[in-house]
Amino acid sequence: MQNEEHYLSPVADLTYRSYDGPLGSIKMRWWAIAMYQMKRSLKNRFMWVMAVGSGWYYFMMMIIFFFLEQVVSQGGDQGMVQFKQFLARINWRDQFLLGFSYSQLIYFILAWILGASAIANDNRANALLVYLSKPCTKFDYVFGKWMGVFMPLFGLQMLATSFFWLYGGLSYNDYGFMKQAGPVILLMIPVHAMSAALLASVTIGISSLFNQGRTAGSTFAGVYLLTNFFTQFVVLTITSQLQRGEFRLASVSSGLFPLYYCSLDGVQIGLAKILLGTDGSPAFGINSRFPNIPIPATGLMFTAWLLICLAGIFIAWSKVRAVEVV
Amino acid sequence: MSLVEARNLTVKYRTFTALNNFSVSIGPGCTGLLGPNGAGKTTFIKTMLGFLRPAMGSGNVLGADIVRDNTRIRQLVGLMPEQDCHIPGISAVAFVAYAGELAGMPAEQALRRAHEVLEYCGLGEARYRLVETYSTGMKQRIKLAQALIHGPKLLLLDEPTNGLDPRGREDMLELIRSISHGKDVNVIVSSHLLPDIERTCDQVVVVAKGELRAEGKIADLTRIDGAPLDVELREPNAGFIMAIQNAGLEFIHALGTTIRVRGPGLPDVTGRTVLEIARTSGVQVRGYGVATRSLEEAFLEVIR
Repeated sequence: MQNEEHYLSPVADLTYRSYDGPLGSIKMRWWAIAMYQMKRSLKNRFMWVMAVGSGWYYFMMMIIFFFLEQVVSQGGDQGMVQFKQFLARINWRDQFLLGFSYSQLIYFILAWILGASAIANDNRANALLVYLSKPCTKFDYVFGKWMGVFMPLFGLQMLATSFFWLYGGLSYNDYGFMKQAGPVILLMIPVHAMSAALLASVTIGISSLFNQGRTAGSTFAGVYLLTNFFTQFVVLTITSQLQRGEFRLASVSSGLFPLYYCSLDGVQIGLAKILLGTDGSPAFGINSRFPNIPIPATGLMFTAWLLICLAGIFIAWSKVRAVEVV
Repeated sequence: MSLVEARNLTVKYRTFTALNNFSVSIGPGCTGLLGPNGAGKTTFIKTMLGFLRPAMGSGNVLGADIVRDNTRIRQLVGLMPEQDCHIPGISAVAFVAYAGELAGMPAEQALRRAHEVLEYCGLGEARYRLVETYSTGMKQRIKLAQALIHGPKLLLLDEPTNGLDPRGREDMLELIRSISHGKDVNVIVSSHLLPDIERTCDQVVVVAKGELRAEGKIADLTRIDGAPLDVELREPNAGFIMAIQNAGLEFIHALGTTIRVRGPGLPDVTGRTVLEIARTSGVQVRGYGVATRSLEEAFLEVIR
């Protein structure tokens, strides 16, 4: 153990001054917790890399179209006409759905960075003692932590989407972008908000069960990726084989479609399809071997979303025990 | 004026009664909350902070009701918990400033004050280090700093010397003594360590089996009925004891060269009589004073 005298500077001012300054309202203490959580998260550089990466589909599309245009424009009018016809065939609204769907893994990583250790590390350091000995209620703590994950997650998700919407409006307006996708930005707000709410609830719930951020993160990854694998991967593989006639069982194919949405990822994509009113179209306008999975039942998806959110929050709520404070 | 008041409090954990019809009034200054393990000290603190709802009775802390205004109470008081606790992954100054913000301080005021409080608690030079890297003694100090940040008028210190080595314990007791005297901060120290209480507190509340056993100034609790005198002689002297008894004083006991005597009158009168007997019998008295018992003796008697 180091000598503690070392930490007393010879010029230290050891007088005690009482504090008579302002003390804010005891209401809305959750905001202080959420703000702190956000401030810490936003300092994480890897998170910013992921945030930019979450728009990879949009950026890829923009880059491909840009270079295609450059190449085609050098090849004469015929090529340019074909390129414009290609752009005019693109369903711009669907590109937002695709951008959202293809970024699910990155949204998961963002949620993992932002939320997996939010309560777990507090459990390890007994930080709850600090929070609840101040004028913070159990609600303030849980809601503050939830908002501290939800708000940056939502903001970062919207970042790439908004950028693409702005770029598309300026670059592809001649090809029906604003006509098709003008109001989509308003629909993407609830899409991203519901996605962020779902991921925030699950991460906070799982985080509260552990006292090591890494363990909580691993569990979250396990829940996310395993449910993803057994639903989307299996369904997409089987249905693509069925549609290519390898099994010749079309009824089985359509019966398997709802399974696609039985994961955290699936619920988010299902809700996006419902809110955007489309089941999507091939990426970059190029035909794919995988079929489009139809829009799921609205009631079922919203209920699933609500139940998952409530379950996550309930777990966190039940694990935070104010009475254990002192 | 009482800072903390409990009136007929009964607190139960299902069928177990942790506090039974508990009434107490704690005034300004430094007060020790004494009691053996399981006496109900922690339950009392939890109830006063609003974490436990009393089955019966009422109470208030700094004028705020413990049931209705418990979050307000937690803004007015500072709590230094018994267990190690901190916000992980941040420096001491960021931790203490954040504790201030949680208490409702504006961010810039909290940061300024965090520097002041850390300096006061002796962590000035280590304020930018991660709290995880602190020694046990430093962690105790930072818990005190986070409790002091918002300038509470009442500090609740739960076992503040827990896990400290003798040097660290001395420093912590000195700090508590300093903060609780002349700084307009009232302190309640919950501990089962009698010497700690004796060093820092002016008054005590003794709790045992969920009931109030004694309360008052330490000087009052350690006083012995009849105010006997402890007389220190140069050497043991049986003739002197005989002379004292012949003079009508009561001889209680002798411990080495010190004898304890009790007179019918005030201690001053008894003292003069003792000195007169010593003068006539040629015995050298090195000193005398009103006898007191130790806090430990008083404590054991009231919890018996």
